[in-house]
Amino acid sequence: MEKRFYPQLGETVFWDTLENGLTVAVVPKPGFSKKLCYFVTDFGAIHRQFTLDGQDYTVPAGVAHYLEHKLFDMPGRDVAAEFAALGAVPNAFTGYDMTAYHFSCTENFEQSLALLLEFVSTPYFTTESVEKEQGIIGQEIDMNADSPDTQIFETLMGGMYRSHPVRTPILGTRESIAQITPEILRLCHQSFYRPDNMLLCVVGDVDPEQVCRIALEKLPEAAGPKPAVRRKWQEEMICPRSDLCRAMSVSMPMFQLAFKCEAADRGYEAVRREIVGDLAAEALFGESSPLYLRLYEQGLIDSSFGGGFETIEGMAMLTASGDSEDPKAVLDGVLEEASALLRRGITEQELLRMKRSALGRRIRSLDSFDSVCFRICAYYFSGFDYFEFPAVYRDVTRQEILDFVRNTVTEERMCLSVIVPDEEAQV
Amino acid sequence: MIKTIELFPGIVLRCFPDQRFKQGCLSIQLVRPMDREEAAVNALIPAVLLRGTENAPDLRAITLRLDDLYGAAVGTLVRRVGDYQATGLYCSFIEDRFALEGDRVLEPMIGFLEELLFQPLLEDGVFRRDFVESEKRNLILTLQSQLNDKRIYANNRLIRSMCTWDSFGVPRLGEQEQVERITAEGAYRHYRRILEESPIELFYVGAARPEQMAELLKPVFGKLRRTPRGLPEQTAFTDPPTGDHTEQLDVAQGKLCMGFVSPITLRDDRFAALQVCNVLFGGGMTSKLFMQVREARSLCYDIGSGYHGSKGIVTVSAGIDFDKEAAVKGLVLELLEECKNGVFTAEELAAAKQALISQLQSTHDAPGAIEGYYASGLLSGLNKTPAQYIAAVQAVTAEQVAQVAGTLELHTVYFLKGVR
Repeated sequence: MEKRFYPQLGETVFWDTLENGLTVAVVPKPGFSKKLCYFVTDFGAIHRQFTLDGQDYTVPAGVAHYLEHKLFDMPGRDVAAEFAALGAVPNAFTGYDMTAYHFSCTENFEQSLALLLEFVSTPYFTTESVEKEQGIIGQEIDMNADSPDTQIFETLMGGMYRSHPVRTPILGTRESIAQITPEILRLCHQSFYRPDNMLLCVVGDVDPEQVCRIALEKLPEAAGPKPAVRRKWQEEMICPRSDLCRAMSVSMPMFQLAFKCEAADRGYEAVRREIVGDLAAEALFGESSPLYLRLYEQGLIDSSFGGGFETIEGMAMLTASGDSEDPKAVLDGVLEEASALLRRGITEQELLRMKRSALGRRIRSLDSFDSVCFRICAYYFSGFDYFEFPAVYRDVTRQEILDFVRNTVTEERMCLSVIVPDEEAQV
Repeated sequence: MIKTIELFPGIVLRCFPDQRFKQGCLSIQLVRPMDREEAAVNALIPAVLLRGTENAPDLRAITLRLDDLYGAAVGTLVRRVGDYQATGLYCSFIEDRFALEGDRVLEPMIGFLEELLFQPLLEDGVFRRDFVESEKRNLILTLQSQLNDKRIYANNRLIRSMCTWDSFGVPRLGEQEQVERITAEGAYRHYRRILEESPIELFYVGAARPEQMAELLKPVFGKLRRTPRGLPEQTAFTDPPTGDHTEQLDVAQGKLCMGFVSPITLRDDRFAALQVCNVLFGGGMTSKLFMQVREARSLCYDIGSGYHGSKGIVTVSAGIDFDKEAAVKGLVLELLEECKNGVFTAEELAAAKQALISQLQSTHDAPGAIEGYYASGLLSGLNKTPAQYIAAVQAVTAEQVAQVAGTLELHTVYFLKGVR
């Protein structure tokens, strides 16, 4: 087990890779009652094509999320009731590029950990239970259909990407989930829920050795060959559609705009570019930018406006969203501000101030167990130790930020997704 | 744990000294009775204060000051606490020990707060008109945007339709008509008045000693001329039912909301029992609502209940198909009947208690949670530390849960359905 200490953050992380192939990260939090545990697989909604034992598979949209729901079933046992009896609160979420199962507790940590590992590693799918879940997930799909934030994002992805599977909603559609069978779920479980494809991360006052012992005892060794998963998609930097509009029952127009970026590498370089992208967003339209002040004073944006650099495996973008009576004017403002920023440049003092602010905000976010756990997991799968972020800030230069703006903030790379109130659409 | 220091009459500093966090937080609450006439202006004032000060005359200048303080955050605080409305500011900032090269954050932060609170940018002796007008517009848009989240929207509609006189019917941020009537003169006059007479609650979580905080804050608030006035007592909910409500919008999913009323508020000895009852009934993945309505019958994805302790109101909300209203309503009532008749297992009871206890045990694990628990708890009349509250939860028996469930009466049903 490796112990890493991060003096600038006052944090320690224990890292280990066990004989069964599982990687474990433990962030000790002496003096805190809460313990938070994430058990995460490098398998999300976009991982729909893979090769296993020489055979190619394409699984229906929404399968990762469906599997997340169904893993809570165990033969003859009630997982939720067992967690409840231990006083732990379990939950799970499916993202585009990972799926996480987690619980938090203050007592009975070790039993809860054992239970988490047990249920996630036990596939149990019957035809009847798989069919029954269609009703519940169907309601979840309807709920998303009424959620403007979800609709804006999903519409944006559909407009920006031609082949990347981020085009398709995480939940899939009512039609796609109707194709999901116990066999497909078993295949995905066997392929991706192997210890060597997963990370166990714990934040709290726990014994790291004990965490590893339980994980070793509960999880079988990874067996057979790992599947080869499709992780790259051919995408031009020009968006297939640049202007998308839908009507919903909302009070005022809402928008998300984005500029397409090349898919990120892994590791340090990926994080460096992410931080460059975030600082560029700050300089362009952050609260301390001249543009933000102008748009706010003109009433074109309100405090809901914000954005940054976002990545999902195989794609990346600079994005901003908010409510506005005139989203196109906001977009034009961003394009104009990019030219202005390139003309005037960034002073060393401005860069220092932006870095200090961003660093301070990241340090504050370390008070949140959830944020720490989530980020350690997300960065682990892209090959980076999250707590190394202060060094990356030190390295970033003004020129990198300006180059990023020059390459990224252009009309060809741009896409705007807008949702307008019902009655406006009818006009 | 909490150290309380009365800085001046009606101005109280409460400190929760703690070395464990990366950040400190400080809230400033000016406490008003929740009132239909002034709720909107109370909600507007902090937003206007954050638009500009004499030394930092616009949003950008304010953000640059915060950037220099290592990305400190100052936001508006507008809270409903039972019959009170707290208005003010909430700020978080990194602890001095994480700043570079011996930089200090806490002291300049308090200096900047003083500017924001007491040196707003004025025009003709009142708030700047353009700031007031643009924040009025933003506030109205915020009120209207509650439509965008149908679950929140439906719950608000339920609460609205339950209330005739009770202050619970006044939206936390006020109402559009009231916002429209606000003028720069009126808002500024009101601000001076609440600074003069309202109780002021300061709450700090962080590494600094309470005495040090008192020393830093005394000169800030010592300049105020004060004629403090007390607040009326918190009240329970007694409004009569006004009938059920249905509304149609262009939505894919229906929202069923049901409001139940009990005489038991968080100021009652039976409070812990009703909390446990609510969790057993509809709080979380092992509750009756989740297990029966979702898991056993696949009628919904999202369902749960919530207990508004300051008023003794329990609400249930579920996202369902339009044609399932009667079925789900019947099922919810049936499951509540089970609670009233003590039809639940020892395991269900233990699980509900344990869920509450775990939640209370983690209260002290985040600065925001500490501030939220104590700063609103003390105002609402919940005079229990998390430890005392845990003891009360532990002592709850099955008979008590059935007994308090028996006090719940269905008051109002609201259903949001589609147009098709």
